[in-house]
Amino acid sequence: MANVYVAGAGMTRVGRRSEPLQELMADAAHGALAEAGIERPGMVVVAAMNPEEFLGDGNFASNVATYLGLADTPAIRVETATSSGAAAFYASFAQVAAGLYQSVLVVGGEKMTHLLTPKVSEIIGRSIDPYERSYGATMPALAGLITRALLARKLVTPREIAQVAVKNHANAALNPYAHFQQAVTPEEVMESRMVAEPLRLLHCCPISDGAAALVLTAERGPVRVAGIGQGTDTLAVRHRESLTSFKANRMAARAAFQMAGFGPERVDFAELHDAFAPFELISLEDIGLVPPGKAGRVTLDGETARDGRLPINPSGGLKARGHPLAATGIAQIVECVWQLTRRVGARQVPGRVALAHSIGGLATNNWVTILEAA
Amino acid sequence: MKTVETRIPASRCPRCQAVVAPPASYCPWHPVAMTPTTVAGVGEIVSFTVLHSAPEGFRSPLNIAIVELEGGARFVCHGDETRGLKIGSSVAIEAIDDVYYFSHLGALERARLFWRRAGHAGDRANAIARSLAKRVWNRGPRGS
Repeated sequence: MANVYVAGAGMTRVGRRSEPLQELMADAAHGALAEAGIERPGMVVVAAMNPEEFLGDGNFASNVATYLGLADTPAIRVETATSSGAAAFYASFAQVAAGLYQSVLVVGGEKMTHLLTPKVSEIIGRSIDPYERSYGATMPALAGLITRALLARKLVTPREIAQVAVKNHANAALNPYAHFQQAVTPEEVMESRMVAEPLRLLHCCPISDGAAALVLTAERGPVRVAGIGQGTDTLAVRHRESLTSFKANRMAARAAFQMAGFGPERVDFAELHDAFAPFELISLEDIGLVPPGKAGRVTLDGETARDGRLPINPSGGLKARGHPLAATGIAQIVECVWQLTRRVGARQVPGRVALAHSIGGLATNNWVTILEAA
Repeated sequence: MKTVETRIPASRCPRCQAVVAPPASYCPWHPVAMTPTTVAGVGEIVSFTVLHSAPEGFRSPLNIAIVELEGGARFVCHGDETRGLKIGSSVAIEAIDDVYYFSHLGALERARLFWRRAGHAGDRANAIARSLAKRVWNRGPRGS
């Protein structure tokens, strides 16, 4: 398989945005193309989880490509719920690796803040198994079930879960692209409003607008894609053997490290899918970045802080950078690329190998992407 | 004890014998048609939550649980009481207007249930012993 490189990256500030989604995606896309020094890519791959219901727009690959000024360029859309961005990156990688195109632009984005929160939750919740949804299950509800199981098995403590939010808010405070710019204390997290017992408001990511883009090339660029893996599981959470580990995480990590030809010990820092704070702890162990049963401890000990042995979510993660759904998987890789090329200023972490991890739905369609400074 | 007699429609995979409830046309893990079956509405709490921001069409607070049914399937249902409920707690499930609810089984109900379901004296003694052992075990960490 041919080497594939990331030649350019771009993203918008994440948060409550007034611009149309197409405008946000154009900003991110033109930023990535400019950085790559490419005016017209061979193909455009668009990631958007649900523009039909958030915005009322369909045929979204053509919609975005035309808006970008790339109406004459082949375009497709990729969707795997909340991991759509990572899946679109994979589709773009595959096009270049197969030799079908010399360069591919992948751009993802979502706009939701113009709708009321219950409506947004309901639309995102449509990615849940219909039977479970008929009992009122939402993403926070299912995450609450998982968090209760984690705590009951004493795999993590409430203080360790809170530390994920504290750490990621501290990182986001140094990220001008982040939704939240302020720090939070463990007490604020542990006393915030209950959402889905035992999960509280400050354990959950915000509803955000934003877009992110990357240009992948066959020609040598500053960052090489070392490995990509996909992991899957049943749509229904009730069919899972375990609630405290995600099979889709383990499967994605195994495939990605197999492609890379090395193991988790080579990873210097990572962006993990912390839509709910305990998911960062589950994923740290599932991916093999820390030994089983140690995720909470290493987090509390500061090993995953910006100045720790293994910085996790230097961008602030979904928790604090924000989670504009289909933008997220791409924004994680943008952060990795900018970190690997030493362009993030105060939040710079050292390292040559980065890992990005994205969860689709309630861990039904997950991705692990490994990037290496070329 | 009408509640313990609830039978829940389910389906079984002829390939891997997995049971899912409610029934599915195809096994989630094998592309083969499932066979209809039923499972008893009795099981153990795998996890539960109280949702304080219920989605459109539901009222907060909303109790949602995953229950491991004795027949093997895991089931999602509502419940009207979570006080004293723990992972591993025994519950009975009943349907009200086609919506399933769990209710916490007390020690007496649990003993009666095991008594009634055990086939003969030996099984009965075993069942009671297992029930007691489980209750002790449930005080320690336990989960899915």
